[in-house]
Amino acid sequence: MDYSEAAERISRKFSKSGQAVDLKKIEGKLRRLVDEFGVQPQEAERSVTNELNKEFNIPTAGSGGSAGKSGGGTEQKKIADGVPGDWVTIEGKVVALSAPVSPSIAQNGIIADESGAIRFVAWAKSNAPAMAEGSWYRIESAVVDEFKGIPNLKIHSGTTVKEISEDRSLIPAPVPVKDLHPGIAGVRAKVIQEWDATHDRMLQSGLLGDESGTVKFVIWKEPGKEKLTVGAVYTIFYAQVDEFNGRLSLNLTTATVMKEDGDIPVSGGEAAVRGSIVHIAPGSGIIKRCPVEGCNRALSRQNYCPIHEIQPGFVYDLRIKGWLDDGEKTHNILLQRDAVESLTGITLDAAKEIAENNPLGMDEVFLRMRDAVLGRYIVCKGREIDGRLLVNTCERVKFDSGEHAALLNRAGGAS
Amino acid sequence: MSTNPRDMPKREGAFEREPARRIFASELRECRYQFKDGEDEKSPTFVLLPTGERSNRVFLVGTLTEKTRQGEQNIFYRGRVVDPTGTFFVMAGSYQPEAMQQLARIEPPQFVAVIGKPNLYQKPDGAFMNSVRVESITVVDKETRDLWVLDAAKQTLDRIDAYTDSTSPDVIKAKEQYPNIDPAVFRRIAYDALAQIKM
Repeated sequence: MDYSEAAERISRKFSKSGQAVDLKKIEGKLRRLVDEFGVQPQEAERSVTNELNKEFNIPTAGSGGSAGKSGGGTEQKKIADGVPGDWVTIEGKVVALSAPVSPSIAQNGIIADESGAIRFVAWAKSNAPAMAEGSWYRIESAVVDEFKGIPNLKIHSGTTVKEISEDRSLIPAPVPVKDLHPGIAGVRAKVIQEWDATHDRMLQSGLLGDESGTVKFVIWKEPGKEKLTVGAVYTIFYAQVDEFNGRLSLNLTTATVMKEDGDIPVSGGEAAVRGSIVHIAPGSGIIKRCPVEGCNRALSRQNYCPIHEIQPGFVYDLRIKGWLDDGEKTHNILLQRDAVESLTGITLDAAKEIAENNPLGMDEVFLRMRDAVLGRYIVCKGREIDGRLLVNTCERVKFDSGEHAALLNRAGGAS
Repeated sequence: MSTNPRDMPKREGAFEREPARRIFASELRECRYQFKDGEDEKSPTFVLLPTGERSNRVFLVGTLTEKTRQGEQNIFYRGRVVDPTGTFFVMAGSYQPEAMQQLARIEPPQFVAVIGKPNLYQKPDGAFMNSVRVESITVVDKETRDLWVLDAAKQTLDRIDAYTDSTSPDVIKAKEQYPNIDPAVFRRIAYDALAQIKM
């Protein structure tokens, strides 16, 4: 079993409060608890966290809080000020409710005030009154804790929930995409791409962007949910920002989404790299793809798809995987069909022709493309995702006599 | 709260390919110091450039002027690639079958782009010899050669500019290893290389 992820989670929690912890030590503790003592992994994580809390004198959640604010006398706070471990009393408006994922949960959703919003969970055992979307409540003695790195308000049997007669309208401020962090947040962004659904329950996924950057979004199937339109701009409130494998993703299932007129610039994410192509990886050239709707995976030479097995009715495609090197850093690049055609001058039809009529078959396309692009200077523009540049456009660098003259001056100037 | 993953250091184990440095032949020829970064058998080997940069890989474009086939059992090819400042010695053996086949097919003279690993040898008579073990070699046009000369000149000048006040361990090591080389000579060399390109 791998404990590094859990250890990572724990260390992040403490580095937030300025404490340095030893990852190896945490991992060791987790391993000892789980492997030697048969503790459930989640429980082990909790107990290691608590141990460290004690070590650093941080009051823990669920243990009654620190002496000053134990019992019912919890402070009234703004939602944004609640940090994990706090017992709080808040007043806020329920802005979203979602279907409970477990019978032990009575209700979950998002509650907001002027300062921000937080996800809440009301346990079935708490016997709290059912809350209605759009109404205001005063919640006394609830606990803020953390679930999967996201602050979460727990309504338990010691919590008092009262509806209050408030009817202010909340206008949350959207944040730039690059400043998103796990929790609840709003953005004003444009739908840049729509991706194929990777799961039956998924309604839509894709990429949202504003001037500052881009982020993945997902909407799960629930009654009344509608897809977003690619190219349209939306103001989105109360979306849940999740983190998975160090990457953020916006869950819009519970969010308030408003379509806007007009357009916004989306510059973030588009990077340009100039360099020479120093390697063309296997799997470049002409490839076969799985024809099953929504699959599109690259097939092996035997037309085998990892999911749909043998697919004789494959479709051909072009791509180049390789490394673009600027002398300081080497960038992993992926070129899709359009970019490959314009760079190599070999169209998909021409490549098919070569592949089907040549003794070397698809290898011949690879070799011709390699000879056409390897060692050449190009500029690639695209988005960097997971350390790989997905190239939208690329072109060859042309000799620029202005650059030549400038370099001559620079070399001659100081000697 | 700084939980933004983009603020966090790279995850461990993320593979970083060694960049290919742009070096004129006359600078590579001066290298006398080669080292390993790490204890591991697989740790990369670097040559230290007199301008204070380490290089595990090079990218060069020049004219392949000759190639020879050598060896009976273990065939390998040697070639000479000329840039405006001097000559690179390149070789590809049976451990680089792809590169060897590419080199075998090219009939000199041709402009070629070479990606490879620099290696430092000491001959029995004590003389040093720098060669480039080819990873890949392709025929290119003159424009690519000219672009490379600009690129190599720019990166050489960048290294010289960084050399003077730098406290990087590689620069300090270079000053120690090459006490008799003033990197300023490479500025002159870069100028001469640039001047050879016809407008």
